[in-house]
Amino acid sequence: MLAARLSVPQALSYTAVCLLLLCVASLLLGAGDIGILPSLQALLGGSDEDARFIVFELRWVRTELALLVGLALGAAGVLLQAVTRNPLAEPGLLGVSAGASFAVVLAINLGASAASLHLGVAMLGSLVGCVLVLLVTRMRGVGDDPVRLVLAGAAFSSMLGALSSLLLLWDQRTADEMRFWVIGALAGRPLDTLDWSLPGLLGGLLMALLVVRPLAALALGERVASGLGHHPQLTRLGTLLAVAILVGTATAAAGPIAFIGLIVPYIARRLVGSDIRRTLGLSMLLGPCVLLLADVISRLLVRPYELPVGVVTAFVGAPILIAVVRNHRLPTL
Amino acid sequence: MNISSSRPLLAPAGHHLLRLGDYSLMLHRRSMVVALILSLLLATVATWILAAGDDALTPSKALLAAFGQGEALQVFLIQELRMPRLIAGLLSGAALGAAGCLLQTLARNRLATPGVIGIDNGATAFAVASIVAVPTSLAPSALALSGAASAAILTFALAAGGGARGYRFIVVGIAIGALFGALTNLMLARSDMDAANAAYPWTVGSLNARPADSVLLLGIGLAAGLPLAKLLVNALSLMRFSDNVAIGLGVRLQRMRLLTLALCVWLTALAVAVVGPVGLIALAAPEMARHLCNRHGVPVLNAALSGALMMILADWLGRTLLAPIEIPVGIIAAVVGGPYLLWILLRQAPRSST
Repeated sequence: MLAARLSVPQALSYTAVCLLLLCVASLLLGAGDIGILPSLQALLGGSDEDARFIVFELRWVRTELALLVGLALGAAGVLLQAVTRNPLAEPGLLGVSAGASFAVVLAINLGASAASLHLGVAMLGSLVGCVLVLLVTRMRGVGDDPVRLVLAGAAFSSMLGALSSLLLLWDQRTADEMRFWVIGALAGRPLDTLDWSLPGLLGGLLMALLVVRPLAALALGERVASGLGHHPQLTRLGTLLAVAILVGTATAAAGPIAFIGLIVPYIARRLVGSDIRRTLGLSMLLGPCVLLLADVISRLLVRPYELPVGVVTAFVGAPILIAVVRNHRLPTL
Repeated sequence: MNISSSRPLLAPAGHHLLRLGDYSLMLHRRSMVVALILSLLLATVATWILAAGDDALTPSKALLAAFGQGEALQVFLIQELRMPRLIAGLLSGAALGAAGCLLQTLARNRLATPGVIGIDNGATAFAVASIVAVPTSLAPSALALSGAASAAILTFALAAGGGARGYRFIVVGIAIGALFGALTNLMLARSDMDAANAAYPWTVGSLNARPADSVLLLGIGLAAGLPLAKLLVNALSLMRFSDNVAIGLGVRLQRMRLLTLALCVWLTALAVAVVGPVGLIALAAPEMARHLCNRHGVPVLNAALSGALMMILADWLGRTLLAPIEIPVGIIAAVVGGPYLLWILLRQAPRSST
């Protein structure tokens, strides 16, 4: 177990300040030709119509979406790592996001179109992914080997990715819409995305709060957890349900965005140690921070174009993945 | 017993010994039979694929047309349209199969194939760069080579602590692959529509209308690489033992590793420059060869033959399954090969092999 470097309130307040700064940055910076100063004036109540529209209609919604998705993915990452006791577990790497997005692609292909329907379908898909993860971790030999789980996840998601492209080829009409479900993006989402994804997020977080204490006990071992009056299998199922709801919501809102669930718990553990009761709260602030940062970078890197935000998270996440793997005594959580 | 037969160099059971003066070559009988059968099968399937299609010919007519005999239209159809594609498939499949076999042996892990540890993605990223950034005709192969080499070097260097053993090495490879995949997306996001469309086959893996230069280079590379791989096989089969045993048996370990890796990168890069990342061929072909040969050797040649067979079959499936829509061969490989990869991964579980 890593020793705590900061107390929880300290870490929380630092992260909150970062988050606030990043929110402002996200409102002020962008790929468009509105500079920082006009954006600032618009934010403070200026009268330039164009700038007001860009800041309050486009960037505001985008920032809110990043907050929501980052929160969901960060919390899901911490939960998934705790329940698999694996510091490499990440919804994107283990194929949970791929399950969600494939389910949505399949639903679109079969003729579904309503956004709220996507949410349910995505949750169902990520639930299937979660159950597969659970089954694989319960297999003798694989569950103890953090790395093999990742490999299985990579195989699973690449297979689903290929199936998605197959469906995409089949039905050219919806190809443009579906490309989003393969790559993921925060930009240009319909305005009502927030309305229907907020309940999903709240439900997932509620579920997460219910399992935090049993999960912390489970980290001490199955017997100890049973002795403390928790039900290990029920805890695992509940956690995976929470992960499925959170990842399903995030994927339905912004498509599959990988590596957030790896970066956030990694930083959180570095800051406050590996107890889930400490990391979960922090990760809910860190997740939006990381995603907002990635989003701002993705707007600025190749102006006047924009990058898919998944590209930026991959550039940050892959080195962290390497760092975790290179760590000789791979910590089992 | 006279002197000449006192050093009879008897071949072990199941092997043949070819001798020419001081040089001798030991051949595994079953491997030879398998190679022969695979070659015949390959020839049959290739002829059949040549003949089948929208405008079906009889196999004999197709063969004649391939050598320029018969109606002009048929000759055009076969020589200009079907042959290049078939050749591209055969060569790239063979190169990927051989490369997979080499890397699996090097890493002592069946899951360590060029696709899994990121070499494919490195080659793809650089090949896409050749379309998007520096559009010249020979560039894809050359750039794919440098991309594959940098991915391989990065993976091996970063995994250095754990050596090429175990699964850590593979996860480092997955991360490197993700990095290069992101790089590819980055370039595609920056480029205009035409360049992005031109680069599309490389991102999924397709045999449709591949540049002839790259195919030619691949052919040359394969002609140079396969004999070299065959030469390495003896030392490679000793590398299955622990490092100490291999060194004790006279293998120059560092040099052999470097040479094998370089060869593997060479074959993979040239193949990816033609067909794109169809990594699962490199996983399945050596496996098939090993099953057929039923021997704990390093069946490079048979892996190449099986790879070629798998590639042209997958391509044929992709063309006919949803006709007239053509499914890229990379997608077929991923859909068929993915469950297979999972199966290997999970079936191995009870043994604690690492």
